[in-house]
Amino acid sequence: MKRLFPLLLALTLLSGACSSDDGGGAAGSSTASAAPTELTVFAASSLTAAFEDAIGPAFEAANPGVRVTFNVGASDTLAGQIQSEGTADVFASASGTWMDAVERDPGVQDRTDFVQNRLVIITPPDNPAGIQSIDDLATPGVQLVLAAEGVPVGDYGREALKNAGISKDALANVVSNEEDNASVVAKITADEADAAIVYESDVSAAAGNDVTAIEIPEAINVVATYPIAVVDGAPNADAAADFVAYVVASDGQATLKEYGFEPIA
Amino acid sequence: MHRRLPLGLTILAAIGAAFVVLPVVALVVRAPWGNLADSLSGVGATTALRLSIVVSLSATALSLAVGVPLALVLARGDFPGRSVLRAMVILPIVLPPVVGGVGLLAALGRSGIVGRWLHEGLGIQLTFTTWGAIIAATFVSMPLVILATEAGLRSLDPRYELAATSLGASQLTAMRRVVLPMLTPQIVAGAVLCWARALGEFGATITFAGNLEGRTQTLPLAVYQARQTDPGGAVFLSLILVVISIVVLVSMANHLTRAG
Repeated sequence: MKRLFPLLLALTLLSGACSSDDGGGAAGSSTASAAPTELTVFAASSLTAAFEDAIGPAFEAANPGVRVTFNVGASDTLAGQIQSEGTADVFASASGTWMDAVERDPGVQDRTDFVQNRLVIITPPDNPAGIQSIDDLATPGVQLVLAAEGVPVGDYGREALKNAGISKDALANVVSNEEDNASVVAKITADEADAAIVYESDVSAAAGNDVTAIEIPEAINVVATYPIAVVDGAPNADAAADFVAYVVASDGQATLKEYGFEPIA
Repeated sequence: MHRRLPLGLTILAAIGAAFVVLPVVALVVRAPWGNLADSLSGVGATTALRLSIVVSLSATALSLAVGVPLALVLARGDFPGRSVLRAMVILPIVLPPVVGGVGLLAALGRSGIVGRWLHEGLGIQLTFTTWGAIIAATFVSMPLVILATEAGLRSLDPRYELAATSLGASQLTAMRRVVLPMLTPQIVAGAVLCWARALGEFGATITFAGNLEGRTQTLPLAVYQARQTDPGGAVFLSLILVVISIVVLVSMANHLTRAG
């Protein structure tokens, strides 16, 4: 029976290797055969739909010979990846905090705040817990999903709960701290939890998420300001500067508005 | 007996060994040993470790409870679709765990095809609970128990069972009194590998059960969450898993040598 051991061992390790395939997609998964310039954009996961579906293709159409690859994830994760691996051309963060970190190390150029986003409560389409306002998130038994602390939308959401004066009870209702904004939205579209705090852009028609949105009053809402910049040491600094310029110019801003962001550049 | 091996072979073997050993050595080198206590208390290591032990042991127990009977049926049963069923039940070994998690949501989530009925009819919800983490770990690790048990059964001379039944034992008694005792080494080996795999489970767990400290945040999830906010703590948590894994594999190798 000694023969069984290597086989089982191999299978165990094989499956173990597959278990870490969650982290926001690998950079540079291009299939282009002769693309001269491969631009790598690290973007907050809340920008996924706007960047991958609209801005990326439009930028490529306007810049023949440039192929844009997006690495999306939580801004804190992306900042860590940029600092340890340094393969990013452009960084678009959902918070100034993580852009500050990248600006300190390795440094950035052309830093510009390009959009704002506000928070909103989302529930599955039939709103199973009957959430009417942010105060209802404190009702015992409501299953609330947030992003983990450190993830911008997780920190903003906790700030809003604090502003509403319901931190203690609402945080006791948290059933999961998700790794990024997209994972939070997924828990609601899958109808697994009762409510979550995400961005206004996630409930735009363009984002196409099948959820019910409940507004958070202006007085307790939190404004997320998104900076974008060319990362020092960018393999394609010129194309990176073009991309940043495209995003802050009128075409890019109009697209982002369509996806529920508030243009500010 | 010292025989000189071809140089090329030795070089390739050294590259292979370094490839596997280096990341583990790097964890040890990079660990900020100076503030071990701070790091471990900061990332909730004891909570995650306790939960991981509960989840992995429960998953192993569940896997044994239904995996061993399933292996017996697959090896000794004769029914249409047996080979298809056999392939299906060991599929989780090669399936990306996150796919397993999505499948578990579709099946056992609160709006899943079975989960809806559990939730609405019985008020049972598995997602975001420790039971959910146990289910996810069982899903990915049970095939190891099935494979080990089945392989043992296939190599077992069927005449032992024949002898038992011809002497008047029922088939169930023959299985229980003759076959299972002879399979103990293989079942134990399968259980140990199953437990190790359950302990390392990440993708299906975070997808199906979510990530909440003390409830579903097992050690691998704690490592994942700590790696940005507290990289040092993440390294220490990783080392806990490395040490456990090494102990398991070493004890496993000894066990199998004796069994073989």
